[in-house]
Amino acid sequence: MRIAFLLALLAGGVYYTYVAFIDLNFLTRTGRLGPGFFPRSVGVMIVLLTIWALVDALKEGREAATNAGLWRDVAMLMVLAIIYAVALRVFGGFVATVLYLAVTLSVLNRGRPLQNALLSILVPVAVYLLFDRVLNASMPPGLIDILPI
Amino acid sequence: MDIFGDLVMGLSIAITPINLLYLLIGAIVGMVVGVIPGFGPSAGLAILLPVTFGMDPTGAIMMLAAIYYGAMYGGTITSILLNTPGESATVASTFDGYPLAKKGRAGPALVMQAVASFVGGTVGVILITILAPMFSQVSRSFGPPEYFLLAMMGMLTLIVMIGNHWKLGLISALIGFALGTVGVDLETGQGRYTFGSAELIGGIYFIPIAIGLFGLGELFYAFFVGMHKSGSGGIVQYDKEAAFWPSAEDWLSTRMTMVRGSILGFVVGVIPGAGATIASLMAYSTERSMSKHPERFGTGEMAGLVAPETANNAASSGAMIPLLTLGIPGSASTAVLLAAFMLWGLRPGPLFMEQNPELAWGLIASMYLGNMILLAISVFAIPLFVQIIKVPYRLLAPIIVVICTLGTFSVHASFIETYLMFAAGIVGFFMRLYGFSPAALVLALVLGPLAEEALRQTLTISRGSAMIFLERPASLWIIGVTIVLVVVLPFMSRHGKSAGNAEKSGT
Repeated sequence: MRIAFLLALLAGGVYYTYVAFIDLNFLTRTGRLGPGFFPRSVGVMIVLLTIWALVDALKEGREAATNAGLWRDVAMLMVLAIIYAVALRVFGGFVATVLYLAVTLSVLNRGRPLQNALLSILVPVAVYLLFDRVLNASMPPGLIDILPI
Repeated sequence: MDIFGDLVMGLSIAITPINLLYLLIGAIVGMVVGVIPGFGPSAGLAILLPVTFGMDPTGAIMMLAAIYYGAMYGGTITSILLNTPGESATVASTFDGYPLAKKGRAGPALVMQAVASFVGGTVGVILITILAPMFSQVSRSFGPPEYFLLAMMGMLTLIVMIGNHWKLGLISALIGFALGTVGVDLETGQGRYTFGSAELIGGIYFIPIAIGLFGLGELFYAFFVGMHKSGSGGIVQYDKEAAFWPSAEDWLSTRMTMVRGSILGFVVGVIPGAGATIASLMAYSTERSMSKHPERFGTGEMAGLVAPETANNAASSGAMIPLLTLGIPGSASTAVLLAAFMLWGLRPGPLFMEQNPELAWGLIASMYLGNMILLAISVFAIPLFVQIIKVPYRLLAPIIVVICTLGTFSVHASFIETYLMFAAGIVGFFMRLYGFSPAALVLALVLGPLAEEALRQTLTISRGSAMIFLERPASLWIIGVTIVLVVVLPFMSRHGKSAGNAEKSGT
């Protein structure tokens, strides 16, 4: 997994550097440092250092096995967070938050339906009052307006 | 106007009822953030920054600063009662804090940590009051070459302090620099990495990245290490102890420890990149080596708790000096504070205190009051924070996700920024897992555009010659100090860490 992460970084670094060399000039027409100077220097260093780190990682060999259960928990939390991000766009801030909390708490905090239900309602209400009413900051609007808030 | 007059003026601003209320909220929130394991001041500041948008800038900055230094107070409560530091700067407080609690002295330990934090924080603010105007005077002679070198100094010291993973730290910083280049190039007007997107013309906004890396990233990591499965079952029941207040011996034996810890912590805090964690470890190790009974350290010695506590609070004050007088943040938390200043169109630097005396002195004066409020809260509201420690992580986690998400959206009402925050959260988790440094990334994201602009201006002034860095006395001084720090800091850090490791292994 570490090597995959480093490879992803390397790919990003190579693409960043490629754009810096293709699209951005090193010097301006007047001979001053251009918009490409910094990105090119940074990009080249990212690529070289990531290759170095990758070689180190390959030399070190396989990483110690970690508890699969913990990976599962993190992956689940990430997936739920991503679904929440999508739901925000579709249902808007309030409804998406109620749904997200209801689902996530029912998974993480099993066997306490009343506590989960209360939190799923009270937290979004508190956050709505804080952001929308007290701070005058908008909650995400949804494509489907279930509630008029 | 003299310093005293400025301070009185600042106090008159800080002491208004609304600002006192903001200060109180900031202090409580800071302590709560400190109490939650895995969340430090950077996460707390990043997550709560959007909440301050509707507020007046002075009150908002005071509140954010209180969150920043308040986290140092809160972090120790879990160190003492649960042997779990609330954040990295309070790791050293577990060495003697938890043994004290196990010996039935949790009450005195909690009170002494509050007093030590207060002394460290207050000495830190006194030193800010005296030194900040002097630093401002000196830094007025600085031009683009010096600013570029200072930005590099901050990055280099942070990276050398990372230690064995310096390569990954450097990659993290370079990613931050790379993200900082996105947007329109201010000198030529050419778009860089915008790919035709209107959202990217203004660049990658700092707040979603900071909230993602420090908020969500830390949360995912906390899940990975199983924090949601370990409860607060091992918490020491301090309320059943015979004596809650410290003894005369506790006060007398640690009075010089507080002085040493405060000064050492402040000096380390001023150095960009070093920070409160290193300060607390160094103070612990120094105290142990100066003690007549070094063998007692690690077994519940009050000086072993007081030293890191004074140092980490003094260090967080010290870190305000480069921020206020140079506009150069030395840590991830001060980088978030800088972002807060910028949100209100304020640009800390040499002229900041002169041009914004009300805000600058109001902030400094508020830090005196904030430390007093935190002392009172730390002593008298311990049961409240014990209740917070008992809230299971599995309940806190989804609520933190909600606050991070809606907080990010509220900044610019942008879905793109919200998605960016989620992406930063996932990347932040992997960075944390594989030894990269999210703090270096965030610091570089803030410092990158400053450094690039300063470098380009410098080379324009010098017509492309890098010799300008060696021709200006101020630049030479900064280069000299950077070299000394890069050589000396890793030794000091290793010394502090080895003392910590010795305690952990019981030697």
